Amino acid sequence: MAEIESPAASGDVHAGMLVLGAGPGGYTAAFRAADLGQSVVLADQRPALGGVCLNVGCIPSKALLHAARVIAETREMAAHGVRFGDPDIDLDALRGWKDGVVSRLTGGLAGLARQRKVTTLRGTGRFVAANLAEVTAADGSVTTVSFASAIIAAGSSAVRLPFMPDDDPRVLDSTGALDLASVPGRLLVIGGGIIGLEMAAVYHELGARVTVVELMDQLIPGADRDIVAPLAKRIKSRYENIYLTTKVTGAEAGADPDAGKDAGKDAGRDAGRDAGTGTGGLRVSFDGPGAPDHDVFDQVLVAVGRVPNGRLVGAENAGVLVDDRGYIPVDKQQRTNVPHIFAIGDVVGPPMLAHKATHEGRVAAEVAAGQRSYFDARVIPSVAYTDPEVAWAGVTETEARAAGVPYGKGVFPWAASGRALSLGRDEGLTKLLFDPASKRLIGAGLVGPNAGELVAETAHAIEMGADAADIALTIHPHPTLSETVGLSAEAFEGTITDLYLPKKKK
Amino acid sequence: MTTEVQVPDIGAFDDVPIIEVHVKAGDRVNEEDPLITLESDKATMDVPAPVAGQVVEIPVKIGDRVSTGSLILTIDPGDGAVEAPPTLVEQQEPETPTEAGVPDGAHVSVVTDGVVEVAGIVESGAAGSVQAVATAGPAADFTGVHTGPSVRRTARELGVDLTAVTGSGPKGRITKDDLLAYLRGPSPASPPVRGAAAGTGIPEIPAQDFAQFGPVETRPLSRIRKLSGTYLHRSWLNVPHVTHHDEADITLLDAYRRELDAAARPDGYRVTLLAFLLKASVSGLKRFPEFNSSLSPEKDSLIVKGYYHLGVAVDTPEGLVVPVIRDVERKGIVELSQELGAVSARARDGKLAVADLQGGTFTISSLGGIGGVAFTPIVNAPEVAILGVVRSATKPVWNGEEFIPRLMLPLSLSYDHRVIDGALAARFVKHLSHVLEDPRRLIL
Repeated sequence: MAEIESPAASGDVHAGMLVLGAGPGGYTAAFRAADLGQSVVLADQRPALGGVCLNVGCIPSKALLHAARVIAETREMAAHGVRFGDPDIDLDALRGWKDGVVSRLTGGLAGLARQRKVTTLRGTGRFVAANLAEVTAADGSVTTVSFASAIIAAGSSAVRLPFMPDDDPRVLDSTGALDLASVPGRLLVIGGGIIGLEMAAVYHELGARVTVVELMDQLIPGADRDIVAPLAKRIKSRYENIYLTTKVTGAEAGADPDAGKDAGKDAGRDAGRDAGTGTGGLRVSFDGPGAPDHDVFDQVLVAVGRVPNGRLVGAENAGVLVDDRGYIPVDKQQRTNVPHIFAIGDVVGPPMLAHKATHEGRVAAEVAAGQRSYFDARVIPSVAYTDPEVAWAGVTETEARAAGVPYGKGVFPWAASGRALSLGRDEGLTKLLFDPASKRLIGAGLVGPNAGELVAETAHAIEMGADAADIALTIHPHPTLSETVGLSAEAFEGTITDLYLPKKKK
Repeated sequence: MTTEVQVPDIGAFDDVPIIEVHVKAGDRVNEEDPLITLESDKATMDVPAPVAGQVVEIPVKIGDRVSTGSLILTIDPGDGAVEAPPTLVEQQEPETPTEAGVPDGAHVSVVTDGVVEVAGIVESGAAGSVQAVATAGPAADFTGVHTGPSVRRTARELGVDLTAVTGSGPKGRITKDDLLAYLRGPSPASPPVRGAAAGTGIPEIPAQDFAQFGPVETRPLSRIRKLSGTYLHRSWLNVPHVTHHDEADITLLDAYRRELDAAARPDGYRVTLLAFLLKASVSGLKRFPEFNSSLSPEKDSLIVKGYYHLGVAVDTPEGLVVPVIRDVERKGIVELSQELGAVSARARDGKLAVADLQGGTFTISSLGGIGGVAFTPIVNAPEVAILGVVRSATKPVWNGEEFIPRLMLPLSLSYDHRVIDGALAARFVKHLSHVLEDPRRLIL
């Protein structure tokens, strides 16, 4: 074995556990480690704990989506005899409320960190050796941290498209879109996944005319087509255009990069719309059936995915392997190839979801403390907080078919749900997939208002090994949307009375 | 530089389960601190630390089965300074799975001075990773196992591969109890009470709510009482008991005993009647070998033992225990008295080793100090007889011409009637009385 040059004998700070990244996975890992008796240093470049999720992701987007839904509902109630005027949107106030939600949560986290005596370091963390890291603050000052164990929770970053103009304020990623600087007249959303469609929903209700372009042949690739269909149908009639199987091949800035932005900001939605037809927009070219060769937009949101930040933490200095896509491979105990260094969350692989990261974070902290914890979850539910919401857990029909996994299906259309109809929404669908031999639930897909809340029951049922009868015989309160889960199980069992299903032929 | 701690000689038992692990990697222990607790049929036994130091690695866990010589853990005796980090490397070097190939530096760099210091300051952190590394193995895949998340987690904690566990819940669901049953293993000794009761079709005593009649307090039974209860119940149900009562004239013997006792006191031990009873019993066992035997499991032959290891029932605060005095025929009264004193003290302190409780061929239960005229002891199966004695008393004895005062010792011999008939029992007890009446006969 070769000698390796040894860094300073010890860091400015000593930590039993160093956590790089204070997102949901990182802070959970740090807090758990502290609760297990470790001295913990938690490093993150952001001024507030919570990472992308709390600061520029899940939480602020949910605040704006709530506003969007209220706007949509007031408009929809007009058809049912309750008419409001057009909304008077004060962007600064809306942004202020959203920021308030975020700061309340991040402030709470800071309190939790203090109570646990977790040391937080603001700056970008990088390993310099297997037991030493340095945290570089924005002002360039460096704090070295020596540690016994470390957890890499460095998260992911939005993918940038190489042909999009750099530093153009009209080209946004999800963070920029959540800043809500202005509402453009015409907005192009590149990427028909969860992030793109959530931001499309917000900007649509705030008055932008939205075009969505997606490379694959369906929105939210990954969810079953029948679950996405009600969402696709609804937004197709409301948004300007949805281009599927379409590639964006180029973009160039118009004469005045600031024209569209200013117009949108100063004059509100009407002026914004006009700006779209002006010459100051972004000229974007497409390649796909049904899409024009090019079109001009006031703003473009790039939401084509996220890449792991595995290469940004100096992993090689600690001997930690990073694969060629930037992921850090780990075992079921979240351990990297270096036994005292763990990795969790987006940086270890998809799905890039906060609730996966938090569970992984707990496992890593517990294993580091000598406990025999494993990441043994069977399913990680996914939710798109669009309108309607799309949610799924476990095996999808598409996956089952592709893998040749046999399955039985129970479906309940929300058109037969009194609760859904009384919400003025009939397009929802609950679909449960069962193992035909054991009758155990193996997957669920839901679409409709609050589908994201309903999917939790199905995830729990899968974890507990519940079968169709277990779900069908569990009394769900009436009238609720949750009934659709029980009724789908009844549909699979053939005991349903709320629908008429012809007898299954064997 | 580390000391390997192995399971000491625990007698004939193999595959004894570990029921408690008192330390974890990184803990500092003093010499004689208990490290783990083993459970045998009759007793629990702590394995103490042979040296003071820091626990480096514990490859065993609760539920593991060990035998004499099994490695329990390694201790770094050190000299007071914590030296965790070198072991971090030593432990993981040979066994760390490095699928993708770790650069050499990854390991080497761990042994920097910086690390030593860090780990020294943050002891628990470094130690935690040591243990975690040591226990890491290929993770069993629980996909498709019918159980909930909490049982999966418990299985991970206990290192159980759930795919090997049979579920007793609805539809074969694995419950937490299934997991614990699996850990205990297919031990025939574990459910004996139920087995005995169920096998004989004896109806359970119906439960009652005593609180309706007055205030009650529920006190958990001690370990020993629960264990001995199982044995006594099993013996009571399986062995057709008969008890033979007689008296021995120990007037002369007692005078002799007092002499010896007075002489022994300065040397720090007492000479009690029990030592004489042991010698007398061996004399009886030699003459009547049926009493030093066991019924074969098929119950078609008698296994007669060529050794004389006698159990002595000892009352302890935790309950009844029966340490065994070995090779009684080769020991004199003095040696036996000293050994009885030592073993009784160990029994009362709960420090009996498993070997102290094994191998008995015949048992003596003495209530001598307390009182009574007779009782019916329960045979300590698979032995076939047990001698009970109560307090001796001076009684008028007719010598053919007159009543004379003699010190009489009541003897109660319970025996397994499948092996021993009443006439044989009467002869055995008569022989005991004969020997006890004149201490000179003890040496014959």
